[in-house]
Amino acid sequence: MTNPSKGRTGMIEFRGVNKWFGALNVLKDITLSVEPREVVVVCGPSGSGKSTLIRCINGLETIRDGDLVVDGQRLGDPATNMTRLRTEIGFVFQSFNLYPHKTALENVTLAPIHVRKIPRAEAEKAGRELLAKVGLADKVNAYPAQLSGGQQQRVAIARCLGMRPKIMLFDEPTSALDPEMISEVLDVMVAVAEEGMTMMVVTHEMGFARKVAQRVVFMDAGAIVESGTPDEFFSHPKTDRSRAFLSKILRH
Amino acid sequence: MLENFSFRTIVEYLPLFGQGLVTTVWLSLLSFAGALAVGIVLSAMNLQRGWLFRVPAKAYIDAVRATPLLAQLYFLYFGLPRLGIILPELVVGILALSLNSGAYVAEIIRAGILSIPRGQVEAGVASGMTYVQRMRLVILPQAFKVTIPPLLGQAIVLVKDSALLSLIAVAELTRAGQLLASDRFMPAEGFVTIAAFYLLLYYGLKGLAALSGRWLGLQPARSSI
Repeated sequence: MTNPSKGRTGMIEFRGVNKWFGALNVLKDITLSVEPREVVVVCGPSGSGKSTLIRCINGLETIRDGDLVVDGQRLGDPATNMTRLRTEIGFVFQSFNLYPHKTALENVTLAPIHVRKIPRAEAEKAGRELLAKVGLADKVNAYPAQLSGGQQQRVAIARCLGMRPKIMLFDEPTSALDPEMISEVLDVMVAVAEEGMTMMVVTHEMGFARKVAQRVVFMDAGAIVESGTPDEFFSHPKTDRSRAFLSKILRH
Repeated sequence: MLENFSFRTIVEYLPLFGQGLVTTVWLSLLSFAGALAVGIVLSAMNLQRGWLFRVPAKAYIDAVRATPLLAQLYFLYFGLPRLGIILPELVVGILALSLNSGAYVAEIIRAGILSIPRGQVEAGVASGMTYVQRMRLVILPQAFKVTIPPLLGQAIVLVKDSALLSLIAVAELTRAGQLLASDRFMPAEGFVTIAAFYLLLYYGLKGLAALSGRWLGLQPARSSI
């Protein structure tokens, strides 16, 4: 307990984590372990705390109590260098958050050059390769405003991969996209997952979950209500709340 | 009325107006540079989370915005000598304009920085950037763009405010008009001429604002709906 890295293999470990926004208990006694190379999909109704859950992992949100250990380092511990830890964690936002004053390539190379201190030429070579990998070799010099939503989100994923992270977190990566652009982003995410990346993905894309996730975690009102393989969860939900949720997202 | 208007006297005084214009231009430039320095420091203080820097910055900005520039100018002009600090009028004038305009510049810069969406900060944080890196690489380049037009607006205000320095005997443009008015008892000629020169400066700065907007790819404000 006092030495959290000892005897644990989890890449991300929540142990009894609680968080409040004012009087609202947005994370309730969360205990969850994500193994290296594991892909976990987090779903649940709006306001259930799923975004907050993954935002805690890279310290975009802070927790009130409990332990959160990421890559062997306990968050909130004075010995943990948060800025350094964040370089190991890629975060993909719902609204992309690309830097509008930078080209696609500059978006990908900015942090590697200035944070990782990789020589510019090397970072640019890697950046071009990553953009080619997400299918945007011809958009290297385009600015975000010149790209579609799906293209922007793929640049955002390449931007994270440029840091060579150990963990990738996705916060509803396809929710802001037009339907015809969703699959191009999911295809890239599947490719990243198949390369063995440790991933937590907040999404309602069941096709994606079935294809690459080892586990689906269902949250409601700040608590983890149910957790299981995609097949178990989608075919045989165990609780009334998960059944009610699934009936809503499956209706269409 | 117009038959009494002496263009000849204006022409005769043109060298004096010219000198005044030149003085107004360079003292405004120096003051604006000073205002930028003051504004950058104040806005940085004002954006801190802790109260230690924020409260003094806010108090200063409020104090400057709540009191007339003329009062501030006299405060420095008559107050500094009492403290044993004797400075030339011109220096006191530039100091007063810098300190005054700096408060407004601080608010312009702060608004520019706060106009950058929260997601940009988070993207920087998430990629492991430090506060300074985020500011330098992500926030300030974007904020710079949106602050240029209002900063040029503030520069226009500063040029007009510099007329008050005539009251502490700085030989700038308005002072030239006053001299013509009192030497020859021709206030109309004196003040119409300086008004024309201020108009000229105004259009110069306005043109610069429009040009900078085009360079920076900003849309011009709509003039009607």
